[in-house]
Amino acid sequence: MRKEKSFRIIMAIICFILTMAITLQIRTMTKKTSTVSSGTQNSDLVDSLLEWQEKYDKITKKLEKSSELLESEREEAANQDQEKQEKTDELKKYNMLLGLTDVSGEGITITAKDGTVNKATDNISSYLVHDADLREIVNELANAGAEAISINDQRIVSSTSITCAGNIISINGEKVSSPFVIKAIGNQESLYGALSRPGGYIALMKEDLPVDIKKSNNIQIKKYTGAFTKKYIKSTSDKE
Amino acid sequence: MTLIFIVIGCLLGLLVGFLLPTIPYSASTYLAIAIIAALDSVFGGFASYVKKNFDMKVFVSGFFVNAILAMLLTYLGEKLNVDIYLAAIIVFVGRMFNNLGIIRRYFLYKLDEKSQAKKSSKIKDSTTENK
Repeated sequence: MRKEKSFRIIMAIICFILTMAITLQIRTMTKKTSTVSSGTQNSDLVDSLLEWQEKYDKITKKLEKSSELLESEREEAANQDQEKQEKTDELKKYNMLLGLTDVSGEGITITAKDGTVNKATDNISSYLVHDADLREIVNELANAGAEAISINDQRIVSSTSITCAGNIISINGEKVSSPFVIKAIGNQESLYGALSRPGGYIALMKEDLPVDIKKSNNIQIKKYTGAFTKKYIKSTSDKE
Repeated sequence: MTLIFIVIGCLLGLLVGFLLPTIPYSASTYLAIAIIAALDSVFGGFASYVKKNFDMKVFVSGFFVNAILAMLLTYLGEKLNVDIYLAAIIVFVGRMFNNLGIIRRYFLYKLDEKSQAKKSSKIKDSTTENK
């Protein structure tokens, strides 16, 4: 009788483990293959792509941790010295302006989505948000005095490029797609006024696309996660 | 009764499998090979049950040790740049078909026996009627 009971329990446990493993595996595979194109034949390439993606994610996390550590070390070192304190504040300020820290403040949020085609005779291209549209908006925001701008959490920094990459848009080398949430920190009124003026670029876009401008008192903009390269530039004021 | 336990185990496994976070992609090769090894053990257990020499200890140890060994071999293969897991899959799947064959034959035999019994009883009936 006892033997029978233990037999059943062991059977149940084994079935449990087996089905759990199989479901987990199937879920992993379906999730992973759907992030790449579904009809891909070259599974080796897909494998290595996914491995690299994983490595990249891991390294990015490590980098984040390290920069946090650096920040705390810096603060600790600066605590004892007035001069160092000033330098740290300066460093912080420049990092903020460069786009290397998360910032917040008043500003506006613009949401631009791809429109829907109503008539078969419509030109589909005019119902999509293009890279040029985003560049134009960023330009107008900067012209209106925006101090920090991001598109779908991609911070606009000095090295940012906004380019067309097929059916998506590449910003800072990262892919972003509709809907585009453009956040800008600056004087609310002047930003809103500049962007929503009649005959302005957004008014033009609004003819085909749903574009929405919202004022907000607390805009959160994330930091630039990429790297600045300085392979070729040299400072001209530094004499050796 | 045993069937109920098995079904409950399967359902629980399905549930937990859906709730757990998915594993990293590089580990999925190991899980796949472990699943194949475990499945082989299960079919092996079924076949031995059919042959009436089922041993719980052999079954359970085979289930876990085979899975772990298969994963270790896969790891070794990855280090040596040889696809050892292919050999493991061939062995496991080959054995699976063997065991499935044994199970199939057992049920065919059983079915045959039943129809034979029916026929003989029918003949008996007819003979009694004729009398």
